[in-house]
Amino acid sequence: MSQLKKTTTSDLVMGVLLFAFGIFLIVESLGMKVYNTFLDAPGFFPLILGIIFSAFGLVMFIGSLRGGSVAAAKNTFTKATLTTLFLNPQSKRVVILSFFMVVYIFGLIGRVHFAIATFLYLFVTFFYLKSTTLVKNIIISAISALVIGAVFQYVFKIPLP
Amino acid sequence: MFEAFAQQFALFGSAAAQAFGFPQVFVTMIATVAGIIVGAVPGLTATMALALLINLTYSMQLPVAVAFLLGVYVGAVMGGCYSAIMINIPGTPSAAATALDGFILAKKGHGGQAIGVGVIASFIGTLFSIVILIFLTPFLYKIALKFGQWEYFLISVFGIMICGNLSTQSTPIKGWIVGFLGFFTAMIGLDAVYAFPRFTYGSYSLMGGISLIPALIGVFGISEILSVLQEDVPYSIESQLGRVLPNKEIVKDIVHTAVRSGLIGCGIGAVPGAGEDIAAWVSYDVGKRRSKKGHLFGKGSYEGLASAETANNACIGGAMIPLLTLAIPGSPPAAMFLAAIWLHGIKPGPMLALESPDFLYLTAITLIIATLSMLVFGLALVKPMVKILKINRKILMPIIVPLTVIGAYAGNVNSFDIAVMFVFGILGYILRKLNYPMAPLVLGIILGPTADISFRQALMQGQGSIIPLLGRPVGIVLMVAIVWILIAGIKNSRLQKDGGVSAA
Repeated sequence: MSQLKKTTTSDLVMGVLLFAFGIFLIVESLGMKVYNTFLDAPGFFPLILGIIFSAFGLVMFIGSLRGGSVAAAKNTFTKATLTTLFLNPQSKRVVILSFFMVVYIFGLIGRVHFAIATFLYLFVTFFYLKSTTLVKNIIISAISALVIGAVFQYVFKIPLP
Repeated sequence: MFEAFAQQFALFGSAAAQAFGFPQVFVTMIATVAGIIVGAVPGLTATMALALLINLTYSMQLPVAVAFLLGVYVGAVMGGCYSAIMINIPGTPSAAATALDGFILAKKGHGGQAIGVGVIASFIGTLFSIVILIFLTPFLYKIALKFGQWEYFLISVFGIMICGNLSTQSTPIKGWIVGFLGFFTAMIGLDAVYAFPRFTYGSYSLMGGISLIPALIGVFGISEILSVLQEDVPYSIESQLGRVLPNKEIVKDIVHTAVRSGLIGCGIGAVPGAGEDIAAWVSYDVGKRRSKKGHLFGKGSYEGLASAETANNACIGGAMIPLLTLAIPGSPPAAMFLAAIWLHGIKPGPMLALESPDFLYLTAITLIIATLSMLVFGLALVKPMVKILKINRKILMPIIVPLTVIGAYAGNVNSFDIAVMFVFGILGYILRKLNYPMAPLVLGIILGPTADISFRQALMQGQGSIIPLLGRPVGIVLMVAIVWILIAGIKNSRLQKDGGVSAA
């Protein structure tokens, strides 16, 4: 039952988002320059895609309404349900791991040497996941960072970011 | 007739000379072993491995690059059976059906023989599909040469529609949405006809479009890493292996199944984007209904195991057929292979038979070498592989993140591609959680430019009319197929919804 509720709520939200996205595509494509005729204009194919997305959005929206999505959404978007969702260990883990990736990709890479950035990322991630003991963590992180950097740079001759 | 045969034989000889060079054979063997390891470790898939390795092949010569990628591909698809059998967790999605019988056999202490059957079935399946690839592809080249703009447009739409239909476990509409999202992704950047910037909003980085490889690495790398690491479930390994080589009775039992599953696997492999996992499930289902011992399927049947394993590997050769003739990959790993050979200047499609006539045979012979390596190493490495399965995923998966970063960056040496990879990784993760399949997205990104240009040119040629389509038999067949898929998909969605509501 809870899976069905989750599905109909997500279908309702996705239906609205798709419809809005489709309308956005239609507006954007109609604003694109027409060189000869509209049939070979750059906006022609995106316009078709916009119509398709709007149609899919409507189908999903109507289908989810029939499936009882309004009641399901009311249940889903309560403070208690949302708190449970965000405090769920799986959700927390994904958010934190994604945050580590963001810091690694957008904060460290390009600012410090690739090997140092990789060492820091791996050390923090292993530490958070409790992958191994602290000493092994430092050793594995350092060796991985050095080996990955060296193999790609010197063996495969690939430039590092 | 004789002349045509002699010509093909000469091409075969020239391809064999390229494929049998020492570096190529050596690389194929090493890559196959690497592929087996990748496939065996839960969480690492053939698609992810190929996506990460594409840029490594940039500095390699074409035959070596082909050997490297196909070795990994063949090895990884088979490798999934080790973990499916020994720990009941499929190393790759394509081995999910294998686990049904494999794990029960392992619990009975026949894990070794089950793996042996898996390896031999995979060998038969791959070899079977290579034979079909060799003999069918030249005929399809001739048909594909007659394709015009309408056919290319319709086959692109057909590709994402059928892929969306087959690859989703939920309603087909979800697969179609993701496929069209792939089309939209391909629209970003400069328009191919007028160089007009579409959806770039003044960003120079977006003018070049969304690069295929970073998007693929994101969808199949980052999202997979997040999916695996979000679970905190340890697993235990059945350590009783027993003998590895199956006895005569078992071999006799599986031969008939292997031939049927080889055909099914190859056929499904040739359907755009359908992939190895679908082939395995369909073959398992057909096997269960056709076999005299069908009631034993799911209770530790070697036949059931062989049905799944033969079909998923037979998909490899099948997936190469539309890839080489129409530049439409038959499975997600084949899409990675397509991206890789594009990097090396090979342009698959009907013109491939004229531009690089021996490429088909190079692919086929390399696949044969990889398949033989898979048989030998697959059987020889059973005991060491059980130890490899004990690798801690909480250590392995984070180490892959720097590899995805390098993989995304290396192609264009552009930091923007790393951001693209990350965004697609998060998008892929969210879509997976909502039961949207990933294969149509990839196919959409690959086929988007073809669909866009072909559709516009076809309409221009017909001065805005679709009447010229009525004079094209292949076009009409494709059009009917698309409408049929659409109607069947909508019906299927309704049935699922009705079932869901009544079940609730």
